[in-house]
Amino acid sequence: MTTAEDTNALCVESDGSRWRNVAVRVGQIGLGLLLLWLWKWGANSAGETYIADPFKVWSRLIEVARSGALAHHAYVTLRISALGFAIGCAAGVILPFALRRLPRLTDAVEPYIMASVGVPKYALIPLFILWFGINDAPKLWLIGLLVFYPVFISVFAGIRSVDGRLLGMVRLLGASETRISAEVIWHTMLPFFFSGLKIALPRAVSAAIVAEFLVGAEGIGFYIENSRQQMDITGAFVGIVVAIALVLVTNAILVWIDKRLSAWRPTDRHMEL
Amino acid sequence: MTGLLEVRNLSKRFATRAGREPSPWIIRDLSFSVADGEFLTIVGPSGGGKTTLLNMIAQIDTASGGEIIFQSKQAPLNDKKSLKPGLNCQIGYVTQEDNLLPWRTCLENVLFPLMAQGRLTEETRERAQSLIRAVGLAGWETHYPHELSGGMRKRTSLIRTLVYDPPVILMDEPFGALDAQTRAQLQEDLLRLWNLGRKTIVFVTHDITEAIALADRTLVLTRQPSKVAGEHVITIPRPRDMRDVVTQPEFIDIYRRIRAQVQ
Repeated sequence: MTTAEDTNALCVESDGSRWRNVAVRVGQIGLGLLLLWLWKWGANSAGETYIADPFKVWSRLIEVARSGALAHHAYVTLRISALGFAIGCAAGVILPFALRRLPRLTDAVEPYIMASVGVPKYALIPLFILWFGINDAPKLWLIGLLVFYPVFISVFAGIRSVDGRLLGMVRLLGASETRISAEVIWHTMLPFFFSGLKIALPRAVSAAIVAEFLVGAEGIGFYIENSRQQMDITGAFVGIVVAIALVLVTNAILVWIDKRLSAWRPTDRHMEL
Repeated sequence: MTGLLEVRNLSKRFATRAGREPSPWIIRDLSFSVADGEFLTIVGPSGGGKTTLLNMIAQIDTASGGEIIFQSKQAPLNDKKSLKPGLNCQIGYVTQEDNLLPWRTCLENVLFPLMAQGRLTEETRERAQSLIRAVGLAGWETHYPHELSGGMRKRTSLIRTLVYDPPVILMDEPFGALDAQTRAQLQEDLLRLWNLGRKTIVFVTHDITEAIALADRTLVLTRQPSKVAGEHVITIPRPRDMRDVVTQPEFIDIYRRIRAQVQ
């Protein structure tokens, strides 16, 4: 009975830790203001041809948001990132699950997969354009590949880390191989999967933006590059700010889903990524 | 006498790695039988291959020789692939560690075998609930294993096996890591539940008192390579009171005899 009481006691924050939280919050805001000031200082000393003024970026941001252009570009980039992300994730999860049942094939294939990790994916963009044209296809290939590797490697490691005693016990209790996959393997690999996703997600958005520099006439990447070509540095900075916001928001959604799915795990704040 | 479960000349040594001395026999020519509804305890020195013995009976590990006969049928023992863990849910196994699924709550863990075996009905669900109440876990159903105390986890893992009603239950020092108080409580719970269903139980322990207090019959194993050193029928009348059993006149006598055999 003591365990639950202890947990409750831990949940109720003492005054000391509340003050500590306030101090951390104040520190965070202070650091943010310092960075903003650095930006402003950079803009003043380097000149607005190189670094846009943060306040002008802000008012432009409002302006673009009101005109609806921001929503459109953000939608285009998000859509292509999400599609590529989904494709890369699906492949990165399904493949290791399939390989689990085929240990000999795994041994044969693994060195090739690991060697292909080293291929610089961005270097393949010209080939993707040659092979798949200038529509969504080359972008999806790039994003899919960039997402696939971290997801595949982390899920693969997650599946290998499964507790053999737990597997034996679950078999003994009458579980079929399918149920073992869905129950034991799935839950064991989930934390690994999410740490892979946390690497893959910003990669997906970055890849979409890089692809848009080169191909297409819409999206945040296009907006940044187009602004630069017109010497509209404020516009380029607006694009970068929006790109950062996109990554932060999608990442927050990911963290939320992770928390929901791993409610069973004992919380250890220091272990969180 | 042919029992429900018979172990004949069972031997085990682990595979020898290349370039090493052949690994020693852990178990050599071990034979015993268990009758239907019997509570058999096995005592032996630690490191004496007791867990290995249970693993072989539970079909988690292969044997190097001998045979295990369950319900007059020989169980496959020779290679890893032909093993059938739990012999199609006929043999339950409460391991030393609780081996609960950490992402399932207490109740979900108890329901797991029913779900895995496709036997989750209103009736079996009710059975799970009544077992939870019987071992005093009511109110803790929605807690995850890491939120439960060691004793509660043990209870959960115990009733997870009882809930699907296998004819034989193996127990590997299930109460080893608990404090004396919790331990006595759990032993009493176990005896009470056993009295209701009279399952066949093979209970391994290194604690002679526990072995006598629970059993109909106690086997004593030798040091490695283990075989049966002695067999003692426990005549202490049931129902037994765990706190009282040591004061029974027969107890001291059996204890002395077993003590002499456990080296």
